Amino acid sequence: MHSEAHTSTSQRKPVHRHAGAKNHLITFAVSIILTAIAFIAVASESVDRNTLVPLLLILAFVQALFQLYVWMHMDQKGHGFAALGMFSGTLVALVTIIAFVLWVWW
Amino acid sequence: MATHHAVNGTLPPEPEKATLEGRNKVLGFWLFLGGECVLFGSLFATFIALRDQVNGGPTASELFQMPVVALATFILLTSSLTSVLGILAMHRNKVGQMQAWFAITVLLGLAFLGLEIYEFVEYYHHGHMLTSSAFGSAFYTLVGFHGGHVLFGVLWIALLIAQSFKKGLTLVTAPKFYVASLYWHFVDLVWVFIFTVVYLMGMVE
Amino acid sequence: MSGQVTYAGRKGLWDWLTTVDHKKIGILYLIAGGIFFLLGGLEAILIRIQLMYPNYDFVGGSTFNELITMHGTTMIFLAAMPIIFALMNAVVPLQIGARDVAYPFINALGFWLFFFGGLLLNLSWFLGGAPDAGWTAYPPLSSGHDFSDQGVDFYVIGLQIAGIGTWIGGINFLATIVNMRAPGMTYMRMPLFTWATFVTSLLILFAFPAITVSLVLLMFDRLFGANFFDVNAGGNVIIWQHLFWVFGHPEVYILILPAFGIISEVVSTFAKKRLFGYSAMVFATVLIGFLGFMVWAHHMFTVGMGPIANALFGVATMLIAVPTGIKIFNWLFTMWGGQIRFTTANLFATGFIPTFVMGGTTGVMLSVPPADYQYHDSYFVVAHFHYVIVGGLVFGLFAGLYYWWPKMFGKKLNETLGKWNFWLFFIGFHLTFFPQHFLGLMGMPRRVYTYQADTGLDLGNFISTIGAFGMGLGTIVLLINIIVSIRKGEPAGADPWDGRTLEWAIPSPAPEYNFAQTPLVRGLDALWTEKMSGNGKMLPAEPLGEIHMPSPSVLPIIMSIGLFIAGFGFMYHNIPVIIGGMAITFICMIIRSLVDDHGYHVKPKELEDGEKGVKA
Repeated sequence: MHSEAHTSTSQRKPVHRHAGAKNHLITFAVSIILTAIAFIAVASESVDRNTLVPLLLILAFVQALFQLYVWMHMDQKGHGFAALGMFSGTLVALVTIIAFVLWVWW
Repeated sequence: MATHHAVNGTLPPEPEKATLEGRNKVLGFWLFLGGECVLFGSLFATFIALRDQVNGGPTASELFQMPVVALATFILLTSSLTSVLGILAMHRNKVGQMQAWFAITVLLGLAFLGLEIYEFVEYYHHGHMLTSSAFGSAFYTLVGFHGGHVLFGVLWIALLIAQSFKKGLTLVTAPKFYVASLYWHFVDLVWVFIFTVVYLMGMVE
Repeated sequence: MSGQVTYAGRKGLWDWLTTVDHKKIGILYLIAGGIFFLLGGLEAILIRIQLMYPNYDFVGGSTFNELITMHGTTMIFLAAMPIIFALMNAVVPLQIGARDVAYPFINALGFWLFFFGGLLLNLSWFLGGAPDAGWTAYPPLSSGHDFSDQGVDFYVIGLQIAGIGTWIGGINFLATIVNMRAPGMTYMRMPLFTWATFVTSLLILFAFPAITVSLVLLMFDRLFGANFFDVNAGGNVIIWQHLFWVFGHPEVYILILPAFGIISEVVSTFAKKRLFGYSAMVFATVLIGFLGFMVWAHHMFTVGMGPIANALFGVATMLIAVPTGIKIFNWLFTMWGGQIRFTTANLFATGFIPTFVMGGTTGVMLSVPPADYQYHDSYFVVAHFHYVIVGGLVFGLFAGLYYWWPKMFGKKLNETLGKWNFWLFFIGFHLTFFPQHFLGLMGMPRRVYTYQADTGLDLGNFISTIGAFGMGLGTIVLLINIIVSIRKGEPAGADPWDGRTLEWAIPSPAPEYNFAQTPLVRGLDALWTEKMSGNGKMLPAEPLGEIHMPSPSVLPIIMSIGLFIAGFGFMYHNIPVIIGGMAITFICMIIRSLVDDHGYHVKPKELEDGEKGVKA
């Protein structure tokens, strides 16, 4: 916008919370484990279907939150509108999906 | 912007947010992803409504093979990690490392696409097509939309890597890498729900 | 600052095709939206002539179907939304004290996508017939080639392209309002029109992907043989209805919220009072936006979703009357005890209030599921949504045009002609649509091209057609007014209405950099605050200096033309054309990514004057 815009950078605090890759690697491990649980739960055919479907969905959402907050940095400051966008979008999507489950065939 | 001359070594720790343009780009991209949630949500809703409408063709549990899906999932998950490692390198101002991590991301993306094409060809031979049933239409549209996103991401990130050799890491290129990485994570996120809802829940019955 | 070019000398057609200036894009939106408005209006007049007499043979049944489809589609997507975007572009950055929008390039791209999408849709008239499945395009009527011709392909592709343009335009406004506000312009100091733009843009962001998907499904069914809506292959037509209205209902709030914003500005300015209940107005706007997403299935009461779904969506719909009522009363209380000036803008705003209340009341009537079984698909519904969209939105847009015209063009519109415009349009509107309530209750179905004589429908339809001519005359007076204003309108000056908000603090029309110095905002109604407690001028938040501006670009129009070409390729199954069109678009994207825009710097006029020793 303004030619001086970049000078404002000096006023920004050099916040640097993830100095290392540790959190990212932990998230990777968590994602792999959650995914593995999901695949094994299906492959073993030992879990009752009424338990299995909610379990799979919970595993997916937990993994999604991990990735959103660590890999996509939603845990950092200034992500209020990121959260607004993602959660509002997810809400609209979920309402749509629930409506489709309930009221498309009846 | 008078910031194109910023040379490596003088970048602020979070170069993607150092300029108003950069902050605009990151904010707008998050909002874009929020809209994409609705886009994929609508496709998921359609798929869930039509998943049992096989029209005499093969069902989901007959078609899907766990090893292929598991491999595709592992590849995409790893590519998501490599893209965040690329951003980490960017924050440390290590251009070479950043380029390497993103190049690996692109290669993994290509591998994922290869698997997906192989998978679609297999299904085609089993009579599972866009035109064969409502299940087929919904499956190929949802998974194909995701595949299209992967393809776009691969081309986009490749283009960014190419220009980073000439331009280096600046206050202009850094936000581009940052949002491309956000995009790539989002594509991976969508895949988490695709392997859960489409493949695993399809194999349950 | 080497290699900087000043574009002060830009003019002519090329400037307009390549501009990224939000004020010029606003004017482009206004011109294109205005032309589509005239086209949609012409279609409306033809519809009304066809229905003027029973068993009348003016255009006949199949042309009538095309006319109603194109009238609805054109008015909503190609006239109302672009004119809203015109005002948003012209006003919102000025209201928040910004020099530009967040993404000038994307903003231009949004306009050109809308324009070429609309052009493609309307070319259907000359290429085998317009779409004829209604603006809602319900399958199976729209999905199979047994019932509908190629016109629906134009609908699908044209709306898809235009919709993408609207969507990215919405993201641009969100980022602009979040990131580009002047110092001191907190969220709770933003003018109501800016608030309305913010909430509307959120609705665009989350609603348009649903229509994107529904159009994709319909396109795949029609062009590639998919089976989403083919019941024989396991498809389900209800999917379209849900997805369409998941988009379609927020869409009506996308239309009406900006009108609410305009009315709030106009009523407050011309009552010389601060808007009554500002925070309640903001709250109501946000609440309407939220509820707008939870009520879509009230368009589907007669589908057979069952009593629970119908009751839920019915009650949720009734809830919307609460925040809307808050707004109505706040406007009335704003006027109460004010020094009201009935300018044309304020006439439209005042006319809006009772008219919109009538439309809202029939809306609550329709939200009662058992009653809706009677009203459904009758002229009662037609009367309802024209009362809210014309009596609400279009009155609001007219108010906004008369109010902000001086800011956009530097000249006022003529007030005498304006009053003719208002009264012709206002009376014509009520003549047209008031009788339609009763026609509907007497059983006249919508979308049917004629009716039998002596069934009690003759008089109402005749009056309705006469009213439509009145609205047409009102619109012609507006056109004359515009021509008169361009020819010999009086210069407006910076602040012709004794305004309250920031846009009136700068010259009319605004210079390309908007604010020579970014203003410091010290209160709600920023300019009025300075008029009351300062010297009437905004305090600067920064010293005078060179201002950086983005370069114009021809890429947005070429990208849009690429998609336009590819659209024809899809419709005619011509793979080289598809590839060629998409290649044009992608190459433009690559160029945009590779070539950095260094922009250019301008010296504000005040700065030049200062150097010459002249006080600005």
